[in-house]
Amino acid sequence: MAARKRKQSPQHEDQREKVRFYPAWCKRCGNCAAFCPQHVIEMDQWGYPHAVRTHDCISCHMCEKLCPDFAVTVGEETPSSVSRRGAAGPSPGTEGSLVSQDHSPERLAKTPHPDEEEHD
Amino acid sequence: MTVPSTQTVVYEWLRHDKKFPHVWCPGCGLGILLGALVRALAASGLTKDQVALVSGIGCAGRLPVYVDVGSIHTTHGRALTFATGIKLSKPELTVVVVMGDGDAMAIGGNHLIHAARRNLDLVAVVVNNRTFGMTGGQFSPTTPMGAKTTTALYGHIEPEFDIAAVCATAGAALVARSTVYHVDRLERLLLQALQKKGFSVVEVMSPCYTNFGRQNLMASHVVMMKQLKEQGIPVERWQKMSEIERRGSFPLGVLVDRDLPGYLDSYREVCKTAAKLRSEGKI
Repeated sequence: MAARKRKQSPQHEDQREKVRFYPAWCKRCGNCAAFCPQHVIEMDQWGYPHAVRTHDCISCHMCEKLCPDFAVTVGEETPSSVSRRGAAGPSPGTEGSLVSQDHSPERLAKTPHPDEEEHD
Repeated sequence: MTVPSTQTVVYEWLRHDKKFPHVWCPGCGLGILLGALVRALAASGLTKDQVALVSGIGCAGRLPVYVDVGSIHTTHGRALTFATGIKLSKPELTVVVVMGDGDAMAIGGNHLIHAARRNLDLVAVVVNNRTFGMTGGQFSPTTPMGAKTTTALYGHIEPEFDIAAVCATAGAALVARSTVYHVDRLERLLLQALQKKGFSVVEVMSPCYTNFGRQNLMASHVVMMKQLKEQGIPVERWQKMSEIERRGSFPLGVLVDRDLPGYLDSYREVCKTAAKLRSEGKI
């Protein structure tokens, strides 16, 4: 694929966080990986998605909009996404993940966030 | 149109005290519709207090529960009747009714056509997954002929209902159709329906892999989504196609857009006339 061979420039390092996943809400349906026009997203052996070629991402937001579970975010980080970064990262149950395999999504979803209080 | 990000949607419009992830199956189109509806509501400039969400029974009936607006989860097929009451008592509210195909066409078919005829200022979002998904995959009025369901093991023998055509004939002011795959179009159509004065119907074609796709030998919901992508054809292109080319596909976009006298205006006129006659002592 031509897009894959494109040279990387230094600023691509900053884009590593461009496509972010929230595994606690992910149901592993695979819409994000199947309908990404640039094939940026791949599924790991557990079925959880991860971004592999973020420098190819054109920010079309297709993965974000086709995710039924609001588990994908494309673009700049917001304070709320930073506060939940502990739950994101490697797939649940895998090495380096803070979320165990038998995690309770409900409990994770209920964790209060500092910027949430004003909406309650 | 500025598109709010997922973060904005999740943190401002969804209820945080509800259990997430939501109840729907992996890859269900209702989750995509929930996102599109909330983004359309945010883009329309309405505040949460100006919106009421009404739903009936079924998988789609669960949708308003997750949105942080005034919402009511009503009886099967009667979502439009409750919405009529809400709109008449509080005309300043934007009332959005979310129904499934079984809810809208089977049990509530009567209510849908009469709501369209009355042309009350409501937005009806009809999610068409071609089956009764929640109860185990029985055939619904929109199940295509020949499809296998729990109650039609040898293939369905009845022709299907065209929801958009029924609503257009019954007198709806705006009739539109999109699929959950064409999510940008869906968002635009929902926004247009929210801004339209009169009864607006948005038919949303959605995959139900668990109870429809598996019985009809579709490999996964991704395959069903790709099918929707191929079957949905923009209405401009659809009009130029021949009858044979149209087979197996359906038009997307605004199918009917017309200005009709609204029920609310007529109702206010009647109220004024009655008040005038009463003040003159004629009644």
